[in-house]
Amino acid sequence: MPSVAVLVLAGITVVLIVLLIVRPEITLARGGKIVAFLGLFIFPVFTGILGFESHVERSKQTSFCLSCHVMGDYGKSLYTDNPSYIPAAHFQNNRVPREEACYTCHTDYTLYTGGIKAKIRGLHHLYAQYIGTPHQPIKLYTPYNNRECLHCHLGSRKFEEGAVHTADPQIMADIKSNKISCTSSGCHDTVHNISQIDHVKYWKPQQ
Amino acid sequence: MTDTSATPQKAHAIISKRFKVSGILIILGLAVEGLTLLWSHPLSFVAFLGLGGLLLAAGIALYLWTLVSHAS
Repeated sequence: MPSVAVLVLAGITVVLIVLLIVRPEITLARGGKIVAFLGLFIFPVFTGILGFESHVERSKQTSFCLSCHVMGDYGKSLYTDNPSYIPAAHFQNNRVPREEACYTCHTDYTLYTGGIKAKIRGLHHLYAQYIGTPHQPIKLYTPYNNRECLHCHLGSRKFEEGAVHTADPQIMADIKSNKISCTSSGCHDTVHNISQIDHVKYWKPQQ
Repeated sequence: MTDTSATPQKAHAIISKRFKVSGILIILGLAVEGLTLLWSHPLSFVAFLGLGGLLLAAGIALYLWTLVSHAS
């Protein structure tokens, strides 16, 4: 549902505009000029900004990402009944908010926020989805950055005192500086694993 | 077209007409934007910006242009 603020502001704007259309003579007086300025400039601008903000917030939703067909298997992988699947383990155990699961781990992968490059990529996704042909399988533009993991895990006991992480001081330094990827082979390397999506068991959440 | 030489009554009629068109464009823009907010989908954002935003911007621009062109 759109935010109440957007609807209220849009409603007030429409009322003011209807007033101006029905009684145009009011703009001859100072008060009418103020009404016109509010109804035809200030309120529409704020309504547009709030509406845009509302769209940005909604674009973070898991359902938004999965509304594109090409993302279907990635959404399915969140329900894999296997704790070695990193996204599934995070999603099922509420380590990431379920309603914003994709965005939480892929914050640099978005249409509205981020840099110009991210926006162009987002538009390219729309083009590929509706006009062109999406690459199969889809791939990240850049290797997954440890920053997205460390955003939550940095400082946590399990991460800081993990046996493998602390086996050598250099390992920890390399993880933190993104020289060693968290998803390196032999580490947390089972991510969405789409190629096996039809050969795994699925978790059914209790209603 | 700017018509600053018109009589005050005529000028007000022109301004009122432009405000009316501006208001209709803004209402249409708001309606489109409101509808897109009911749908959580990438295409709804495109409609929000490409159609709703365009109508809203056109209405606001017409209002501002009317103000500027009749400032005297």
